[in-house]
Formats: sequence, C-alpha cells, structure tokens
Amino acid sequence: MPNDTASGYVLEMLGISKSFPGVQALNDVTLKVRPGTVHALMGENGAGKSTLMKCLFGIYREDSGDIVLKGAKVKFHSAKDALVSGVSMIHQELLNVPDRSVRENVWLGREPMRSFGPLRFLDHRKMHEDTAALMKSLDMEIDPADRMGGLSISKQQACEIAKAVSYDASVVVMDEPSSSLTETETEHLFRIIRDLRSRGVAVIYISHKMSEIFQIADEVSVMRDGRMVGTYAASELDEDGLIRLMVGRDTTDRFPPVASVPGEVRLEVRGLTAANPRSFRDVSFDLRRGEILGIGGLVGAQRTELVEALFGLREVASGEILVDGGLVRVRSPRDAISHGLGLITEDRRGSGIFPLLSVTVNTSVASLGRYLGKARLLEHRRIESEAAKLNEALRTKTPSMGTQIQNLSGGNQQKVLVSRWLMTLPDILIMDEPTRGIDVGAKYEIYTIMAELARNGKSIIMVSSEMPELLGMSHRIMVLCAGRHTGTLEGKQATQENIMRLATQFV
Amino acid sequence: MAASSTVTAQAPARGLRAFLSKNTNIVTFVVLALALGALTGGRAFGLDSIQNLLIAESVRAFAALGVGMIIITRGIDLSIGYVVCLVASVSASFAQTPDYAAALYAGKDFVILVPIAAGLMTGALCGLVNGLLVAYGKLPAFIATLGTLSIARGLQLIYTKAAVVGSLKQPFKNISQGSLGPVPYLAIYVAFAAFVVWVLLRHTRRGTNFYAIGGNPVAARVSGINVERELVMVYLYAGVLYGIAGVLQAGRLGLANALTANGMELDAIAAVTVGGVSQTGGVGTMGGMIVGVLTLGIINYGMTYLGVDSYYQLLMKGVIIIVAVFMDMNKNARR
Ligand SMILES: Nc1ncnc2c1ncn2[C@@H]1O[C@H](COP(=O)(O)OP(=O)(O)OP(=O)(O)O)[C@@H](O)[C@H]1O
Ligand SMILES: [Mg+2]
Repeated sequence: MPNDTASGYVLEMLGISKSFPGVQALNDVTLKVRPGTVHALMGENGAGKSTLMKCLFGIYREDSGDIVLKGAKVKFHSAKDALVSGVSMIHQELLNVPDRSVRENVWLGREPMRSFGPLRFLDHRKMHEDTAALMKSLDMEIDPADRMGGLSISKQQACEIAKAVSYDASVVVMDEPSSSLTETETEHLFRIIRDLRSRGVAVIYISHKMSEIFQIADEVSVMRDGRMVGTYAASELDEDGLIRLMVGRDTTDRFPPVASVPGEVRLEVRGLTAANPRSFRDVSFDLRRGEILGIGGLVGAQRTELVEALFGLREVASGEILVDGGLVRVRSPRDAISHGLGLITEDRRGSGIFPLLSVTVNTSVASLGRYLGKARLLEHRRIESEAAKLNEALRTKTPSMGTQIQNLSGGNQQKVLVSRWLMTLPDILIMDEPTRGIDVGAKYEIYTIMAELARNGKSIIMVSSEMPELLGMSHRIMVLCAGRHTGTLEGKQATQENIMRLATQFV
Repeated sequence: MAASSTVTAQAPARGLRAFLSKNTNIVTFVVLALALGALTGGRAFGLDSIQNLLIAESVRAFAALGVGMIIITRGIDLSIGYVVCLVASVSASFAQTPDYAAALYAGKDFVILVPIAAGLMTGALCGLVNGLLVAYGKLPAFIATLGTLSIARGLQLIYTKAAVVGSLKQPFKNISQGSLGPVPYLAIYVAFAAFVVWVLLRHTRRGTNFYAIGGNPVAARVSGINVERELVMVYLYAGVLYGIAGVLQAGRLGLANALTANGMELDAIAAVTVGGVSQTGGVGTMGGMIVGVLTLGIINYGMTYLGVDSYYQLLMKGVIIIVAVFMDMNKNARR
C-alpha cells in the first residue's frame, strides 16, 4: 500500500475527547500511526484504549477531535463506514453469531451474491471456498462449515483475526487479540501481523502481555487515565520503563511471595473421565490445604473441561471426587458451591457477567444467601458495602457501584468477577485464566490475593496459559495433554522446558 | 496507580434531566396526561373519570405484573387471556345464585371463599404447567404458552359448555365492585399486589435471581442459581396473579363467558413494554410496569372521552405504543 500522505502517517487521531456519564474516558488524546508499522497501544485497565479505538471505528462518537485517514478527514457513522474506508478491528470481546457457521460469520454483512436474472441469492459455494482459501493462506485449520459457537474460544478468536485480515484494510486494530491464545498460537498471530506489516498495513496492537510488545511492536503509545502519555520507539523502551509510564510510578516484583506451606489433602480426584469421549480421561490428582495448584497445557488439553466438570458444568462418565475425605456428587454448580468450591470461568461474556446489571449485583449474585435479614429480605446496605470493599481491594475502576457492568472496561469486568467469587468465601477456588485481560498492576493485586487466600488455608486451582504466572504462583504444576494427565511438576523440576515437554507428549 | 482508580471515583450524573432521560416511560405518561387535560380543558380528570380509569385498568394490572416478571426472566406468556377467561369461568361457576336454574351447580350454595379459592388455584395450576414446560421441558416460552393458551380455551368451553356463566351472587360481585370512600376496592388490591411484587423484585434473593436469569442464564447457572426452580416459580407467581385477575373480572362484570379477557395478553405485554420492561430480559421494575398500564389506560380512556372512533382508537394505540418503546430503547443506544 503506498505511503500516500504528506504527513507520513496513515492514521491521525487528533485531540480526541469522549465522556460518559460520570467518566471522562478520553481527554484530548492524539495518536499518529505510520503505515507498515506495528503500533502498540498500552495502558492500565480503564485507561481508555478500547474507547479510543471504538471512536475510530464509529462505534462511539467522540465529543471533540478529528480523525484523519490517509490525509483526509473522516467521520465514520458506523462500523460499516470504517470497514469500507479500510479500517478493520478485532474487538476485545468476541462479537460473533454463535449459531451460524464460520463462513457465514466471516462474510457477515458482505456475503458474496449470485445473480439469477433480476434476483440475487447468497453464493454459498463461493462463501465456502473463499473462507477455505482465507484459512489456508493464514495457516489456520478451521472448517468453514463448523458452527461458530461449537469452536473453542481460541479458535473463535482465530476466526475474528481471519475476518479482520480479509477486509484488505490499511489499518487493522487488534484489541487484546492474544488474550485467549496460547504461546504457539500467539506466534502464529505474530507471523500474520508481520506479513501484514510487510504489505504496508498499519497494525494497532493492544495487549497487557509485556513480552509481546517487545517482540512485535515498532512504536508504543502509552495511555494513562484517559490521556496520552506519549509515543516512543519500541527500541528505546524496556519492560520496566514501559510499566513505569503506564502506572506512573515504579513497580517492584512481578509476583508476591507465596509463603504458605500446603497441609492436608482437601480435594481428591480419582480417575475422572468425561462423558464426552473426546474430552479428558482418567485424571487423578489431589489438592492440599493452602496450596496453589497450577494446571498447564496447550489449547485443546481439556483443562477448562476438567475444571468445569469439577464444578458440575459438564457430565462425568466415571471417577470420584472427594472433598475433605468424603465422596461427593457434583451435578450442578449449586452442589459444587455447597461443597465450598468456586469457579471463575474463562468466558467472561458467555458465562461470567450480567451485562445490564450493576456492579453490586454482579459481585454479590452468588452469595446473596448470606445477606438475608428479617423476613429473608436482602440487606442491601451490607451487600453493597461488602461488594464495594472487595472491588476496592482489587482497584476496580467504575464510576459507581450502581453502574451497569457492561460500561466497565474489559479488565475491570474481570476484576468484578474475581470479587464475586471471593465474596462466596470458597474453600477451594478454581480460577480459569484469572488474569486474562488484566493489566500488570492489577495482576499483582490478584496474585497477592491468591497468596493470601492460600496463607489462610484456602486451596486454589489455577488454569493458565501464561508460563510466568504458572511458574511464579504455583506450588505444583499439573500438566494435561489431549485430555490426559501427563505429569505434575514440583520445585526445581517446574521449568518452562519440562512443562512444554509434558504438554506436547502426545502431539 | 492514580488515586482516581477506586470504586467511587466520580458520582454519576444526577438531577432532573438525568432522571427524565432514564425514565422516558414516565415522561410519556405525563405528556399524554397533560395533552388530554389540555384537550378537554381539565374536564377529563374529574373524580368520576379517575375512578373509571382505575377500575378499567385494575384487572389488566395484575396480568401486567405477572407477565412483566416473566419477561424479566427472558420469557413470555401468550396464554394470559384464556387463562384469565378460564379462571373467571371456574370462579363464577361457584358463585352463581343457587336458585338460578341454568347454573352449573344449580341448587348448591357455596360460601364466598370457594369461588375465590377455585379461581386462584386454577390460575396457579396454569402457571405451574407453563413453568414446568419452560423450565424442565426446555420448551421455548412462546411455544409452551401458545399450547396452554389453546388448552385453557378448550377447557373453558368444555367446562361451561360454551354457555354464559351468569347470575352471580351480590356478595361475590361486591368484592370487585365495592369501594372504600372514593377509592375502588380494585385499586386497593392492585396497590397491594404491586407492593408485593416490588418487595419480591427489589428486596428478595429470588427477585435478584430473576434479573440474573434474564440477564445471562449461563452465568446465572454458574453462579449457583437453581435456574429451573426459579423459572417454575416466576410462572407460578404469574399464574396466581392471573387467578386474581380472573376472579375480579368475573365479579366486576357479574358474569364470565368465552369472550372474557380476550386479548388481555397483548394489552399486558404492550403495557409492560411501554413501561420499560425489555424483551431481551433482565430489565424492568414494578414501577415501570404500573406506569405502562396507566399509559395504555390513559390512551384508551382519553380517546374514548374525546369520542375517537373505536377503529381509529386501535390504530392510534398501536402507533403510540411503537413510538413509546422506540424512545425508550433509543436511550440505551449509541452515546
Ligand atoms: N459505554 C460506556 N459507558 C460508560 N462508561 C464507559 C463506557 N465504555 C467505557 N467506559 C469507561 O471509560 C473508561 C475507559 O474504558 P476502556 O474500555 O477504553 O478501557 P481500556 O483501556 O480498554 O481498558 P482494558 O484494558 O481493561 O480493556 C473506563 O473507565 C470505563 O468505565
Ligand atoms: Mg479494552
């Protein structure tokens, strides 16, 4: 794509401001992006990154400021305008139609047509072939005919990436595209990004994973509290320097010390096998009091399926679950909760938040039973203060406790979900990708809370695709591969190499 | 991290404007009321007129409260009209004067409690069936209640042999027709029911569960909510409210026949939708439901008062409903 503007920038966002009731989300923000570069946009949860991109994409209308694309001032009234003008976007939250096929999702709104006299019909064959060709060109193994909702979250994310690329845009925005990808898949994404860059496309890349930024970005813009701090060449920054710019102060360690010493066995799982024959089989392990057990593995290792089965969300064919030595039957989340379990699911939108309900309700919904007063009526005041206290501890950024959770930034929604399960006072807390989409500062708060729970004799299972987190926070790391337990690593043996070896044992 | 990153960073916008833009349903009602007042020089708001308005809308209000709660859980109920009709017929059949030769139970004199209990139980039973079909049968609410609609209609015709159930005892009629000073009993019953629904939705765990289920059923299940049981309960509660509506309707009209309460489901659904209960689930309040009922009531009443031809009334009603809901939805649209 030619560098056809005098300024040398393909996109200029000049002095953008945007406020929502009670929040100044953007305050005079300027962002300039050169063609053929990867431009990282960094900032803490709620800094305004997604809002800025939504203004660009025509989803929000900025209160003031100008957007200049390829030298011409533009005003997009809808996502369609933006797409037509060569701006495509991968959204932070999956926005697909789960009940339609992959190919229909990819071509949604611009389906290939076939004329039949004066009539026009969908060209299903072309749609299929184009999708197959697209997937092939990107090295993705996804059948265009599959139902979107039936795919794993990471495959769905891959489809979003394919779709964004297929628009042939000159600016591609990626809002946390890697948050549900494993490292291998992220590598794959980077190959795609480098290819786009070599074709002159500008990629705006948002992520909370520091290491990615230095692998892929040419330039880095940092936002803080709705303002632009500055734009830097990636080569002139290092990780600590970048974090300092983001949070506005020096940071110390990445992980708090996990001081607890595991005690007696709380949870014992023996030969657990899923009813679905393609899922996990014959998994045994135990979890001790005060222990943090990490579960590692590649996507498709059935880690989520395993913890969902423990929580009564998936059917089990055989095997036993013992809590404190007693055999328990877990047929529904209700049973699981009554045995002291809690689960933070990985799919924030699908099985996590209640978008239209307040932060308070979203925090308290699983523990209302503890807040019944006279005549079993809810004690609103106690509920609200408890919910506020938990969210304050995690530094959830919200205009008020009554705000609908859908108006919070992605990372802040995740913090509310963590608060929800802390409020249930679980003995055994299962966290599936607990820090997905959470900024460095808040990650530390969550790790601190995990360490503290463990010190107070609670037990934690943490499913994670982030190696540093697994290595930094777990007493032991159990590795799954293709639904089987391939080993548990402890102490000196817990290394990245060993985890990868076990995780790829059958592939 | 900056100090502003706490929960109570800034207070949300307050004031009259914010309130009004959030509550377009109230604005609609006030505008319509003022328009009617202006058009009639205030004459439309005599004591008589207000009493008539309250009486006319009361029965519908029970149905609206019931279906409003159902819609909050992301459900729908199409069976209301014929369930209320069946309830009215069953209830009336136990309240006929014993010396009336054509009475269903001619010669039998039941105490006043019998027709009331029979009506409430019929309503509750219909609601229970709806609830079980939706919650455990996993039928879409639209289909399940379409089925019970037809069943209720059939039962009503079989039970009454398609005849009018008339000649009701005066004490039974007095339950609906009496008044306390200037206030009709019916309005008092509605106020009481509305209060109970408010407490339920706002102050009980079950009410919160209703909103959660409507807002995201999967997340509700993961949060340990017994989704099936709560769904049965919401249809059951609605059934009881339809039961009350049926009993009162029989008493108010002094009879029940196959036409009683026909089309009430549409009026009730329209009313709560105008009142801000969203079909997408998880949104709505008791106050909104009642405002919706009154809004539809003032439309009906105002046009009758102004002498608008009844065919045009239907047309106007449709237009006003669409405009009101359109405005209400757009307040949530792009900002
Ligand atoms: N629709 C909305 N209504 C009200 N407030 C909003 C809305 N969208 C965003 N905000 C607020 O604007 C601020 C910026 O949010 P934004 O989503 O841009 O953050 P972000 O930088 O993308 O954070 P994250 O890393 O968590 O995704 C937040 O305080 C958020 O609460
Ligand atoms: Mg964001």
